[in-house]
Amino acid sequence: MGTGFHMTLGAHLSDVARVHATFANFATAHRVPPDVRRSLQVVLDELLANIVTHGLTGCAGGEATIDVVLSAEALVVTLADNGPPFDPLGRAAPDTTLPVADRQIGGLGVHLARQMMDEVRYDRRDDRNVTVLLKRITEIEGTSRA
Amino acid sequence: MEVTTRTQGDVTIAAIAGSLDSITSPQAQQALNAVVAQSGPKLAVDCSALDYISSAGLRVLLGLAKQMSAKGGSLRTFGLNQTVREVFEISGFSTIFRVFPGEQDALEGF
Repeated sequence: MGTGFHMTLGAHLSDVARVHATFANFATAHRVPPDVRRSLQVVLDELLANIVTHGLTGCAGGEATIDVVLSAEALVVTLADNGPPFDPLGRAAPDTTLPVADRQIGGLGVHLARQMMDEVRYDRRDDRNVTVLLKRITEIEGTSRA
Repeated sequence: MEVTTRTQGDVTIAAIAGSLDSITSPQAQQALNAVVAQSGPKLAVDCSALDYISSAGLRVLLGLAKQMSAKGGSLRTFGLNQTVREVFEISGFSTIFRVFPGEQDALEGF
């Protein structure tokens, strides 16, 4: 068992801002190592901005939830939304070797999520898109863990 | 998120503090457009107070690089923390931007 929090978001970017603020406070209060906190904020920004600006837009009653659970070993974040079926992991990785003028940013978010998390899973469950992120923690700041 | 500028010789240094994400990027874009408009051909971006960057922020920096290159200038970055460096590497941005450890390294020979 661990500690954590739950939040509900609508189709507004301001809700993503609210998650960033809550997550940052939570991470600080529970001494999550800064690089783990930052990696999660990058990935949350990618996935949540996508959910609220694409998944939920024009979707009556569109709603997303975030559940964060911190244990001694890992930070696990579950994102769920009732938008149309969308598997963010289904996209191909972008070409990151193109010259600057040809560079596209689209699709980079999921690529970052895959690279920066230890596990990323997608499931369509009970008419919801469910994405689970897992980032292992090797050391909580200020304490040593076996 | 806050952008502040200073000059060091003929180099304009824009320092970005806070995060560059989907929330702050529109504001950063505006601030940096103003910086480019006033900057000479040498612009350095100080990332030492940049907490993290997501693809929304990368889009802003990419725009900055394109604007600098359009006016025949060049761009350097320095002071990236581990997460920002990781995002740069994963996205291939380390090959677009010249990344230096600190301000002195960035200004040397610029």
